[in-house]
Amino acid sequence: MSAEWQTIDTDVLVIGGGVAGCMAAIPALEAGLAVVVCEKGKVLDHCGSVGCGVDHYLTIMDSGPEWDTPEFLLKHVPELTDGIVDMAVTSRVIHEMPRILRKIESFGVDFKDPRYGDYYRLRSFGLPGTYHINFDGTEFKKHIGQQVRKKKGTVLTRTMAVQLLTQDERVYGALAFNFRSGEWFAIRADAVVLAAGEVNRLSNNASGVAFDSWHCPYNTGDAHRMGYDAGAVLTNMEFVETTLTPKGFSAQGLNALVSEGAHFINNSGERFMFKYDDKGENARRAVIADAVITEYLLGNGPIYADCRHLPKDVLDHMEATLQVDRYTMPAFYEQKHLKFREEPVEVSISELSIRRSGVYFRGSGLAVDTDGQTSIGGLFAAGDCASVSGGIAGASVLGHIAGEGVAAHLRKPRGARPSIDMRLADALRASALQHLAQPGGMSWKEFERKTRQTVTDYVGVRRNAKGLNLALETLKALAIQEPTLEADDLHGLMRVHESKSIRLSAELMAHASLARAETRTGSSHRRLDYPATDDEHWRKFVLVQRGEKSPRVSTQSCDRPLAAAFTRVGRESLSSVG
Amino acid sequence: MSAETVHNPIRIDPETCVKCNLCDWICPGDLIYKEEDNRETLPVIAYPDECWYCGLCQSICPVDAITIVFPKEMIDCKTDVVSLLGKVVE
Repeated sequence: MSAEWQTIDTDVLVIGGGVAGCMAAIPALEAGLAVVVCEKGKVLDHCGSVGCGVDHYLTIMDSGPEWDTPEFLLKHVPELTDGIVDMAVTSRVIHEMPRILRKIESFGVDFKDPRYGDYYRLRSFGLPGTYHINFDGTEFKKHIGQQVRKKKGTVLTRTMAVQLLTQDERVYGALAFNFRSGEWFAIRADAVVLAAGEVNRLSNNASGVAFDSWHCPYNTGDAHRMGYDAGAVLTNMEFVETTLTPKGFSAQGLNALVSEGAHFINNSGERFMFKYDDKGENARRAVIADAVITEYLLGNGPIYADCRHLPKDVLDHMEATLQVDRYTMPAFYEQKHLKFREEPVEVSISELSIRRSGVYFRGSGLAVDTDGQTSIGGLFAAGDCASVSGGIAGASVLGHIAGEGVAAHLRKPRGARPSIDMRLADALRASALQHLAQPGGMSWKEFERKTRQTVTDYVGVRRNAKGLNLALETLKALAIQEPTLEADDLHGLMRVHESKSIRLSAELMAHASLARAETRTGSSHRRLDYPATDDEHWRKFVLVQRGEKSPRVSTQSCDRPLAAAFTRVGRESLSSVG
Repeated sequence: MSAETVHNPIRIDPETCVKCNLCDWICPGDLIYKEEDNRETLPVIAYPDECWYCGLCQSICPVDAITIVFPKEMIDCKTDVVSLLGKVVE
């Protein structure tokens, strides 16, 4: 073993300490396993997408009415996802929801509204019931992070995993580095959980400020890249998600706005949402984003969010909770001299993200089975990098399922962990450190700017074959530049690795978009050259996997679980796309 | 972009700051660097253009020494939203 490596042996390695990663670590620790969590932030209590707070949680509670049962919600999942969904995994997630909610409450999270001493549940985003608990989740992540520490998980902070270790199609750990100290870690584990979130910093937003993103800009598809490099199957990479934000600030908050009763109006003052969906502002996020995109393209912009008609107590509540989803939202309105109670707020779409395409229960990323295991033995995934996603509830529940899946997996005879391939490890580190010795190389900021512009122009909300092929040319040309990317310091070296993950994710998105020769879920996947939704031929998953020279793209019917495509289950079900 | 033109969103009042390290500790983006165990030095915003505007540093500051200041591009955004909606290649 090379002297410069810190080596760690553990039962389980979790990559990403957000909600999904922590919730995976908890049952593994409860099963008596040694768990190492590798996290880019400094503190588990406040890292990940909701490290600064969250205000809603989607769940079944089994409170009595029929709509509040797993069976009722499950019945509506095909229409909520436009038929592109893994029903086997979704069924497990939905059935586990009440149990995981109670478990999170046992950690100290208070989901009740102090005004009523009860749960305040609202309807939004096209769901067939009031499934969202609106609550003050300022400390949600703190309670979950604390459990990992209480249960004696080991946490490597400010540490970025850069590559999985694999042997014989089995994962046995990862290589990582601390971007403050420069220490390099070779971590051996019997199981690895990828929980590094979605892909952001992927396309332009209204402000042009690269890190002004709806969700955490430090979630950059690192799990997608590492899983892809290890040979795992990814799915739904063609679907993009966008949201509606106050123009200039890509922040969370749409759920509170629409569930409390805000209207959207165009430049004629017309409340237009009902033209697009009979649920109006309560339609799915993808639908309301698509409606705003369409209105802008029709020349009906600017579009505004209008709260002026709402009763005083609702406005008071909105104002009092404005900072829960994003702490700085009140400061933004104040510095903008904007009074949302008295005047309409101009809105924009946010930048695009690869996470769940604006619908619940359809995730974009690593395909998993009902135990959260990917197509690679010993490799699990959860949260916004996995194939079933649904906000923090999805991350909590699938994270917990993956943690229990890991525990079950490790109850089987394990065999010895392979020795780390030090030649590979040293070569990887040497090539990474080359980025620190590239004066005059391309900066990661410029590299990302080009990726974002390409995605915005040709892989975004209006796609056709010509544009997608043009994008692929540019993205592949950028890949050739990757070895010459320049990092000023260790922090920059971390960003260089993020930039590579973003570019690869964009390329996979373009490939998958090219394969899906139809339009589905509006602007989540709009092919101008195939404008219709084609249920006869395209109620299928598009799967991408590492190929010889370029990604291997295939499809599989949504009538079967994604796990049917896994090599360890049987590859015969895959049909190749030309 | 030269260093002078980079907008700094995280304003720390040097008179109020108690140099405690919490902002460095909580920043999810590794932007704020504070020399540990030295109550003489102020935190440095090392990578201001990588800020998420999440406000965690402001929320945890025990003496309210931090103000988040949005840049003009965000406060007074003039971008045509249609420019975000892609080019149609014929």
